[in-house]
Amino acid sequence: MDSKTTKKLIKIVLLVLVISYTLDKLIFFGLNTISDKVMTGQSIGKLNQFLLVKDSVDILVFGNSRANHHVDMNLFGKKSYNMGMDGTGIAYSSTLINTLSKDKEQLVIVHIDTKDFFSKNYNGKDINGLKTKFNRNVYITDVLNKSNQIPFFQNIYYSINYNGKIIGIIKNFIRPGYNFLEYNGYDPLLVRDDQKEIRDLILAQKNTVDCESINEINSIALSYLQSIKDFVENSNKEFIFVTSPTFNDPCEKDNKLLAKTLRELGLTYLDRSNLFANKNDNDLWKDKTHLSKKGAESFSINLKKELQKVIN
Amino acid sequence: MLFNSIEYLIFLPIVFIVYWLLKSNYKYQNILLLISSYVFYGWWDYRFLSLIIFSSFIDYFVGKKIEKANGKENKKRWLLVSLCSNLGLLAIFKYYNFFADSFASTMSTLGWEVNDLTLNIILPVGISFYTFQTLSYSIDIYREKIKSCKDIIAFFTFVSLFPQLVAGPIERASNLIPQIEKRRSLNSTLVKTGIFQIFIGLFRKVAIADNLGVYVDAAYANHEINNGSTLLIATIFYAFQIYFDFSGYSDIAIGSAKLFGFKFNRNFNLPYFSKTLTEFWRKWHMSLSYWLRDYLYISLGGNRKGEILTYRNLLLTMLLGGLWHGSSWNFIIWGGIHGLFLSFEKFTFSKLKINTFNAFGFLYTFIVVLIAWVFFRAVDLNTAINILGKWISLEFGPIFIGDINAFVNGLLLAVTGILIDLKIFSSKTPLEDYGTKFSTIRLSVVVSVIILIICLFYSTAENFIYFQF
Repeated sequence: MDSKTTKKLIKIVLLVLVISYTLDKLIFFGLNTISDKVMTGQSIGKLNQFLLVKDSVDILVFGNSRANHHVDMNLFGKKSYNMGMDGTGIAYSSTLINTLSKDKEQLVIVHIDTKDFFSKNYNGKDINGLKTKFNRNVYITDVLNKSNQIPFFQNIYYSINYNGKIIGIIKNFIRPGYNFLEYNGYDPLLVRDDQKEIRDLILAQKNTVDCESINEINSIALSYLQSIKDFVENSNKEFIFVTSPTFNDPCEKDNKLLAKTLRELGLTYLDRSNLFANKNDNDLWKDKTHLSKKGAESFSINLKKELQKVIN
Repeated sequence: MLFNSIEYLIFLPIVFIVYWLLKSNYKYQNILLLISSYVFYGWWDYRFLSLIIFSSFIDYFVGKKIEKANGKENKKRWLLVSLCSNLGLLAIFKYYNFFADSFASTMSTLGWEVNDLTLNIILPVGISFYTFQTLSYSIDIYREKIKSCKDIIAFFTFVSLFPQLVAGPIERASNLIPQIEKRRSLNSTLVKTGIFQIFIGLFRKVAIADNLGVYVDAAYANHEINNGSTLLIATIFYAFQIYFDFSGYSDIAIGSAKLFGFKFNRNFNLPYFSKTLTEFWRKWHMSLSYWLRDYLYISLGGNRKGEILTYRNLLLTMLLGGLWHGSSWNFIIWGGIHGLFLSFEKFTFSKLKINTFNAFGFLYTFIVVLIAWVFFRAVDLNTAINILGKWISLEFGPIFIGDINAFVNGLLLAVTGILIDLKIFSSKTPLEDYGTKFSTIRLSVVVSVIILIICLFYSTAENFIYFQF
């Protein structure tokens, strides 16, 4: 390699670093401006709406897609919000719970699943769902840094915050999917007639869960649970942990172990995994882990009654 | 070590800098390349380095013996040592379980129960690639096309050179060894084309292929409940996933090699723009298809022994080509479909006295390739039959979208990738030389834009599909 080529190579490398860094910041700040105005959709809108209403509502629900699709907020009054989000877990919920105002009196329902707690593979990666707020929200940035889930490059290229979400953000910016002022975070799952045959096929499939391997609680999941417990102790809120129904739940062991763990932490837990165990009604289900609108309504009525008992 | 990993991002510049600091002596550079290549491979599993060293040693030794041997018979005997050693490695590590299992199943069908003969064997990454590379070396010496390599370090470097070690391109000794045995230089053309190709390859892999893979994996995992339309969309997505995945890998490999002053042969040339399957195979995984042509098809007699034997040779070559990809009936059927249609084309062209089809040929080629991909992607034969059964029985309906973001991202990026291909296709400048079309500033802007697209769209890093072969 002669000196001319060396100079050219160094020039290209430096130019790429400078141009990509500058473009990244332009894109990042541009997307920040756009995304702050987006209040619909799961890419960022729902999170923005949560941050907007979190300290003004009386009842909040956290959890994964099962929380989102199972807890019908229409039964819990207008001042309630369901922050259930697809593909998230205890790490995501715990981080958001810790952003709440400690003084505000609220009922917080945390939907939890045994899956996270007894999977050896659970690593808290779901916290990445909050990366759109990395370098924008101090608390979330701090938790993300501590989680070791943030790729090295995200500290240089901020636009990684919006990885995989840009189309959804732009779509909801141009054309919001719904009126967010009337949205309470609950998304019922409707099963069309033409989907029922497939749904029945899914429900008829055998469960392949290895119940015997369920022994130890996942330490990462436990640490996030502990973080919620610490928050519970220092806040003015009522916390209830809930597990919603699962179709033909093949294991009892994990539910019992989780209940024991929550009991030991002094947290209230309602395990409703087998609520529909004896109801031979496929119309309650969308698939094996998700209730249909009909199932969600039935579960929510039951949950409301149970909550009244627990709170009173 | 994966090309799309942080490790490679650190590894490549370090090796690059030390390599060019040693430019005064290419033999020192070769030692560095050899050590670096072993580090690159050992990062995955250092135990299997012994297989590469064994294969390299055998062919280095055999190459010399073939050259020195008197008479065709003696040369053939030494060639057999190479064939048995390399194919033996493949037989043990890649095919033993497949044949043991097939044998047990056949015996069971005939009423004889055989104990489980399969072994717990890990498939060493890249074994199919480097064994073919060393085999071609010995065969070329036997055919007196090349001389044996006298420099053991150069030969070992030829076998293990890290850009092409794990998934090709399968470089011929006639192309690579002469480059290893002389001083290399790096000029601005190589720098520009190399950098451009590395980044376009990364874009193809982590942005396009990995995003398409999200939908494909979900659809194929639930093939029993998904309808024909969903599986058709998933298979079309897979056609582009595997293309962008493997061509992306090849681009990074060829681009990386350029930075060390090496020129690899191209491995893809816009294969979906083909009017015939024959043309497709001249553009898809070219280093393998030419290998199969030169060392298998021609060795079987090629088209020199009459019409019937030509078709047999074509079919046999493609069946073995299928088996090269993996030890399962799916790959054999995949190869068989290609072999049958290549034979059909040969027959049609000879009877109609034509060289290619008209514009409908693009559609015909894509449909045949698509049907064959079902066998390639499906985890087993039953899955493939189930999917094709849904198409044949016209079991079509509303398409399952799943994660809308992943679906739209995959679709949008695939269209972008195809548009880039069309632009390159119309420019008549191959991708390998496309970097020369840019000034330094324009190239920097293009690379920066690619980096940002990757930041915004990269999907979960997966292994390259061809690593399993």
